[in-house]
Amino acid sequence: MLTKIMQHEWRALRADRTLWVIVPLLAVIIVYGVYNGASWVRFQQATLDSAANEEWERYAQAKREIVEIEINNKEVSPFTDPRLPSVASGRSGMRYAQLPPAPLSALSVGQSDLYPYYFKVSRQSKQTFVTNDEIENPTNLLAGRFDLSFVIIYLFPLLILTLSYNLVSAEREQGTLAMMMSQPVALRSFVAGKVGLRGIVVLLLAIGFSLAGFLLSGVKLTAEGAWWRLLSWVGMVAAYGAFWFALAVAVNAFGKSSATNALMLAGLWLIFVLLVPSLLNVAVTSIYPVPSRVEMIQATRRASAEATAKGSQLLAKYFEDHPELTAGGKADPTDFYTRSIATQEETERLVQPVVDHFDRQVIGQQSLVDRFRFLSPAIVAQAALNDVAGTSVARYRHFLALVDEFHQGWKFYFNPRIVQKARFGAEDYDRFPNFAFREEPSGAVARRVAIGLIGLSLPALIIGWLGLRVLHRYRLAD
Amino acid sequence: MITRVAGKEFIEMLRDGRFRWAAAIVFALLLASMVMGAKHHREVKRQHDLAQAETRDQWLRQPVKNPHSAAHYGIYAFKPKMLPAMLDRGVDPFTGQAVWLEAHKQNEFKFRPAQDSTAVQRFGELTAATVMQLLIPLLIVLLSFSAFAGEREQGTMRQLLSLGVKKTALAWGKALGIAGALGALIIPATLVGVIALALTSENGLLAASASRLAVMFAGYLLYFGVFIGASLAVSARAPSSRLALVALLAFWIINGLIAPRAVADVARRVYPTPSAFAFQQAIDHEMRSGIDGHDSEDKRAEALKQRVLKQYGVDKLEALPVSFAGVSLQEGEEHGNVVFDRHYGELWDQFERQNRLKQASAIFAPMLAINALSMGLAGTDFAQHRDFAAAAEKYRRMLVKMMNDDMTYNAGKSDFSYLAQPAVWQRVPDFEYAAPSTGWALRHQTISLALLALWFVVAMAAALIATKRMRVD
Repeated sequence: MLTKIMQHEWRALRADRTLWVIVPLLAVIIVYGVYNGASWVRFQQATLDSAANEEWERYAQAKREIVEIEINNKEVSPFTDPRLPSVASGRSGMRYAQLPPAPLSALSVGQSDLYPYYFKVSRQSKQTFVTNDEIENPTNLLAGRFDLSFVIIYLFPLLILTLSYNLVSAEREQGTLAMMMSQPVALRSFVAGKVGLRGIVVLLLAIGFSLAGFLLSGVKLTAEGAWWRLLSWVGMVAAYGAFWFALAVAVNAFGKSSATNALMLAGLWLIFVLLVPSLLNVAVTSIYPVPSRVEMIQATRRASAEATAKGSQLLAKYFEDHPELTAGGKADPTDFYTRSIATQEETERLVQPVVDHFDRQVIGQQSLVDRFRFLSPAIVAQAALNDVAGTSVARYRHFLALVDEFHQGWKFYFNPRIVQKARFGAEDYDRFPNFAFREEPSGAVARRVAIGLIGLSLPALIIGWLGLRVLHRYRLAD
Repeated sequence: MITRVAGKEFIEMLRDGRFRWAAAIVFALLLASMVMGAKHHREVKRQHDLAQAETRDQWLRQPVKNPHSAAHYGIYAFKPKMLPAMLDRGVDPFTGQAVWLEAHKQNEFKFRPAQDSTAVQRFGELTAATVMQLLIPLLIVLLSFSAFAGEREQGTMRQLLSLGVKKTALAWGKALGIAGALGALIIPATLVGVIALALTSENGLLAASASRLAVMFAGYLLYFGVFIGASLAVSARAPSSRLALVALLAFWIINGLIAPRAVADVARRVYPTPSAFAFQQAIDHEMRSGIDGHDSEDKRAEALKQRVLKQYGVDKLEALPVSFAGVSLQEGEEHGNVVFDRHYGELWDQFERQNRLKQASAIFAPMLAINALSMGLAGTDFAQHRDFAAAAEKYRRMLVKMMNDDMTYNAGKSDFSYLAQPAVWQRVPDFEYAAPSTGWALRHQTISLALLALWFVVAMAAALIATKRMRVD
């Protein structure tokens, strides 16, 4: 029976003009969205490549210089001598820690346009390199990007509502409902058939056009992890779509006119997609206010002044903490770099509580959002799509943690060598620590996405089920 | 006649439960956003004032040290907020809040507040501007989509016209009725807003921003007018009120949601900007090898040496009455300034080109006009960010030059081991920034203003023409 209803609906839908307006429109916005996402990914990749290239050339240059200095016994300034650990850990040997775009990053720009995707790690404090923001017109950041996730989150529901706001009401208004119900078919299966067909058509179109967009813009679906991400993405889009179809059925079930249905659904869309997110944002920022970074800047400055003032005292403490460094007798407490290491460590120690306070507040905000995102399917979808695309804050924080670890390792490698006045040969440059990005464990991502999927499907099922129940009492004719 | 029609529309709307609910929600959101805005504004202002005083204090309390170390220590400039910014935060969440002014380098603004928010923020912040740009137009659409189409469907149109009511009178009356109902919402909200502003501001700041606020208010009235006109025109021509609603909602979505993003992407494509990496590479390259690439550091140093020797009429550096280190530091600054002006100038011009393209695209969507105009008057658009950045940079150059000059004329032969007294720090004036005038802000918004006015005129004319030609049933 269901297939028969769907076959009939398919014929009716094909005959309707609406579908033929919607199909090309959907094709255009989806392909445009994917194209925009993909060009941002290409931009990032090109930047990362030129950074890697610069690093490679810098290393080659340093090695050449060392050879030249050693052969000719040249006099070199201690600020530029690539053999010195103080220079090697900074200007001549600093490494780029890179966050490569995930396989499906083209799906959603997410938060990736706000955070740096590579850092130039040196022996300097973390504060000197973490604010490496990409250049972007702030007016563009404010507007947001026209990417695929924008199309899915904002426009896809509108498309679904256009196709389904008068699912039952139109049949009644045309007088065809009573006729239909005189056949041996239940209203519920009739509605299920109508929704089912529309759902399949819309989903196939959305997925088909997106895949076409990927192929056109050169997204590699062969990359590691691309397939399960793509499947999760399809699942998310289906669940998100199901929610809006369920909502349309529920609204239709109240038996109001098509015009009233349209108004109610438009109102619900407004509430879920625009109002709830902005109110939630107000709530989380009031509950966990993040102090202005202005305070952190000042705290850092105070700390560094304090550390510099303590100077020699700090140095004594530093050598107390690291007795192994004084062993060879090469350590020289009056040395500029030795001093700067000691003050830098003290500054970082003094600033840490302030930095931690920021992190706590931001994490507090995030955990509130995570908990209350289920108030709006749009927020659930946004979080999950960003996760699937690898443009979520979670992946960024994961990257930051790796960078932190690398930075510690970098200092651990170079600081003792600076204090002990080691000298590097050309071949030592190949032994410097290198940054390797490890992808977030798939389990963690999959768990977040799965919770999102449940958070969308469950309300969709409940609303749909309630709708079908209420439909039982539907008045077939006016 | 017009007033009678308007009166009837007005009373009918006030009695309509749907309108009352929708208006109450919009009113509550508007109030909430203004209160939040005022709170946020006070907090940011307090922090910035404190920080600005502290950074100055830190500068003054530097111990005896070499002036070049002092220049390296530098000072921070914190971007102040104007009072109307509480209504429209504009690009502020996406520009840095502070810039470090130090020797050798023109720094970028750091710490974009949006980086300390969650992804939900990207759905849009709840500010008075969002409510006025998105929600009130939607309210207008809901109020007026059935203005004529509904009368036709109920059969009252024929009746009405048989009474001898002119169609134009009907159009004006309906428009005024809707405007009146809207006024019932906007006037109290404005009063609350003015009170909130007055409570937020101190010593006459409100008066200083009065002209900005007035123009902003007028801009929003024009924008609402566009929606009233467009809704009436569509309602007069649409075959049914349902189609009128669909058409108007489609316009609202394209105007408010699709256009801003689509145009931002087009602008980025038409006027591309370099990556931060390429930007920095280019600056570094020119710092090293000179603007034309043939003027290496060594060559420049040699040329400077010859020039200074000639200027003081001596034949070796040791005979100079000034510190050559100070002179060459300043020479390095002068070279850097040319490089920075070129690159930052080109980048910021490119941003402004993108923004102008966006303003011009308001011909397709009035949202783009009011959005730019509102930010401009709130003092939160890119042009005013740039103005502040330029002022901070000018201050940096002055500060660094004062330090270098002190070294040049007082260091003698001791160069970098010369120590200056704290009196030298005192001589550097405090950084003071005066926000640009209303006229200045408006000059950056001429396209937006013109297009908004054009939309208003066209929408009103369309409403009049459409009602004149509308079918009776």
